[in-house]
Amino acid sequence: MTTQPSKLWPKMTGWEEFHFLTDFVLEHSSGDHTSLTLYDQHGGTTRFANNQIVQNVDTRRGSLAVTVAFGRRHGTATTTDFTAGAVQDTLKRAEHIARVSPEDPEYLPPVGPKQYLSLPTNRPETAVAGPARRLEYAREAVSQCKMENLNSAGTVSSSLTAVGVAANTGLLAYEERTEARFSLTVQADDATGWAAAAHRSIDHLKVQERTLTAIEKAKRGADEPKELEAGRYTVILEPAAVAGLLSWMLWMLDAKSFDKGTSPFVGKLGQRIIDRRLTLRNQPDHADLLGSGFTSDGLPVTESVWIEGGVLKQLMYDRFTAREHGIEPIATLESPCLSGERPAGSRVSDLIRTTQRGILVTNFWYIRTVNPTDLTLTGMTRDGTFLVENGEIVTAVRNFRFHESPLRAFNQIDAFTAPAEAVTSETGKLLVPAMRIHNFNFSSVTRF
Amino acid sequence: MSAGTGYTEYGPDICSSTLASHIMTTPQWDELADLALTRLRGAGVEYGDVRVIDSATQTIRGEDRRIAKIREGSDRGIGIRVLYRGAWGFAASSVLSLEEIPRIADQAVDIAKGSASLAIEKVHLAHEPVHRDSIVTAHRVDPFTVPLEEKTSLLLEIMDYVHRQHGIVRSAASLWAQRDRKLFVSTEGSHIDYDLLAVQGDFSATGLYDGRFATRSFTTPHLRTGYELITGTNFLAEAPRVATQAMEKVRAPIIDSGRYDLVLDPEHLSLTMHESCGHPSELDRALGYEANYAGTSFLTPDRRGNFRYGSGHVNLVADNTEPETLAATGYDDDGVACQKWDIVRDGMFVGYCTNREVALKINEGRSRGSNRADSWSSVPIVRIANIGLEPGGATLDELLSDVKRGLYIEGHGSYSIDQRRYNFQFGGDAFWLIENGRRTHMVRDVIYHGITPEFWNSCDGIADRSHRRRYGFITCGKGQPGQSGWMTHAASHARFRQVQVIQGGAQT
Repeated sequence: MTTQPSKLWPKMTGWEEFHFLTDFVLEHSSGDHTSLTLYDQHGGTTRFANNQIVQNVDTRRGSLAVTVAFGRRHGTATTTDFTAGAVQDTLKRAEHIARVSPEDPEYLPPVGPKQYLSLPTNRPETAVAGPARRLEYAREAVSQCKMENLNSAGTVSSSLTAVGVAANTGLLAYEERTEARFSLTVQADDATGWAAAAHRSIDHLKVQERTLTAIEKAKRGADEPKELEAGRYTVILEPAAVAGLLSWMLWMLDAKSFDKGTSPFVGKLGQRIIDRRLTLRNQPDHADLLGSGFTSDGLPVTESVWIEGGVLKQLMYDRFTAREHGIEPIATLESPCLSGERPAGSRVSDLIRTTQRGILVTNFWYIRTVNPTDLTLTGMTRDGTFLVENGEIVTAVRNFRFHESPLRAFNQIDAFTAPAEAVTSETGKLLVPAMRIHNFNFSSVTRF
Repeated sequence: MSAGTGYTEYGPDICSSTLASHIMTTPQWDELADLALTRLRGAGVEYGDVRVIDSATQTIRGEDRRIAKIREGSDRGIGIRVLYRGAWGFAASSVLSLEEIPRIADQAVDIAKGSASLAIEKVHLAHEPVHRDSIVTAHRVDPFTVPLEEKTSLLLEIMDYVHRQHGIVRSAASLWAQRDRKLFVSTEGSHIDYDLLAVQGDFSATGLYDGRFATRSFTTPHLRTGYELITGTNFLAEAPRVATQAMEKVRAPIIDSGRYDLVLDPEHLSLTMHESCGHPSELDRALGYEANYAGTSFLTPDRRGNFRYGSGHVNLVADNTEPETLAATGYDDDGVACQKWDIVRDGMFVGYCTNREVALKINEGRSRGSNRADSWSSVPIVRIANIGLEPGGATLDELLSDVKRGLYIEGHGSYSIDQRRYNFQFGGDAFWLIENGRRTHMVRDVIYHGITPEFWNSCDGIADRSHRRRYGFITCGKGQPGQSGWMTHAASHARFRQVQVIQGGAQT
């Protein structure tokens, strides 16, 4: 048996290797159109609970998808095996699927060559961060909690991913993307506090600062939480909670559903859908967002405006629906930033200080649609829910279930802050303000 | 068949610019596994296991009378888990070479050393006998041998049937199959190879009326069987019913909020059980391991044996031995044999889903065998077992006949529950008003909510075994990084008294 020379693995699939892979696949393909997509990731997660590590993993996964089309018949096959035989087999499987599949009236050939933004998506400090760096951050968070006699659970993760998209139309895009994440739940008896971060640079996770935030939240909630009745309240939503609601709005912007009449935005394009002071932009080059140069289709990522002065300006188009409407170029929304005129300050405390009575919500959990027609959502408050009176947090309260549509809530905004980083376990990363909203509907209360 | 055979592939590694002419042979799985175990033993680990997996997945998805996607995936790699100085380390790679194995074995050990430096108590594993076995899913027709044309024709025909109903504006239909070939070996001497299948099909119809829309769905269970599950399902007979009910649903009146008796069908109950009983019975959650993501549990260890979870009608049994169910894989990813045990007996909470690590923490000498990873690249975590509701003695008509004003609910809809699994809220796929013991007409936008033990204590009747149906889940999210768990939940229809119902719209 012959083995490979040393030091070839775990070398990531670089630009030259991806180019080589592309040439190999395209040369061997019999399809009218052939495209391939690469995701080659090396990363890991250190996970802790009860102030000790419970899981510590490091994984290398390379994945290649090949799509072949004969006319409008297309098929896709994927592999994690990058040996030539496996790649050829993958191509053959894609060819076979394409040959026997029915014609797809919505099929479009891959995009041609494009110009892409050159973004600093690969941060060397993250790329070289391994288990030792992740352990260092985990130790820092755990140590701070232990000093306060508090219980911690969380994760530190980092990864480097090589992403490539190519096709026989001349499309050839390649980018290396790093990502680091930190998430922490601090438990003080029955109370919990939480903070999280995600960034291209592991140096920007602000582990110490965010650990202190989570500790403070947990300590504030440590006294027996007060049970308030369900009902409509003025709420102060921290950025993570706003991100939870906003993300569902963004996921529902699909243009095809809009055309078919099965979208909550039917009749609302060009209309004001949220507070007139707010504007939503895609900002791929923002240093604190996880921007990238191109989409999985090979489309260039660009700056765009989605909601301007509260008015819906843009829908999320697949390539077929965009062509039907003559939309070119197709706007993308990987790096959302919601900002507004005349913010009331830059911090949540600026909203608390001016609130006579309201509920401060750190985060929402398990958000799901209840009614897709009007985008009514439900979910629970989590990891720090407090009663605010006369400009101060006075007590922790038991967690509420909400039953509310962001299309209604975001029209009842009283004040908001400048946008801040928001990332939760249920959303991507966004920049959004904290908001004070009137008449927010809490439909029931839980036991803690 | 043995998972260690039939996987030799040859060819140049084309991911290195220097390798175009370099011939690499992918070694046999047993050879890779032995190499890893030798390396782990040499490092002095207390325990180590190796999983080599090749998962083949076929997804065919139809949308609005066209086949939108046909995708065949091959996901192959190796995961090595070690316990060293009482702490865990795990490393995995999609590169199956004799050179990569020592690298990831060494890395798993190094990672465990780091974990040990931030440990309060050492991990110990409950005893499990050594197993040497081979597990194969019983099936008549291999879904991967069925011609694609046959599958796409079926999906197109289903969607055509659906669109014959006036008012239907969207349709979807899909078929899915997965084969997992896996080799598990451990430093304790276990050697288990698997050839597992799972199959499923579904479709839906969306109707538009008066500016609102509603979807009605049909699904087979996800089962470990062959394509006979699909050929044995009369999709074309179901399609007109589903389309008709989609239009009936979108036109249906809303109901007043208030307390209603509920009669829930087995498909609907599979989700209710999953969220309100399955997850809280995961011992790792109860012990705080998931506090930062999936959450903890109101079923704390001090409540085991003395907490009334439900009424005396309620018996929830975990059974990972029932043929065709998703968690019945012979052994879990700790190499523990699948078992059957009680979670709730006569309404009392009595048991947890466990693995070899956490079982000892509640003084159980053996794991329940519920430790599973969703791929070679994931570390196994405690997973919900095949938890099912034991049948009662009634018929569905008998359950309905004793309801003066209530709701009959079928299928899955909106669902949400707090992180300790107390406060839940569920919708459904279809709702009928029950009046004076009879299902009358459909209603829409029904949501019910409650507190888990109060809800299960309101159960006063369960239909008999002839009504029992099984439904599987393959997207149960848990863990960081997130993993998808697989399990099956079986139930007969059940009745619950005076549950709070609200309207599922912004008008509430």
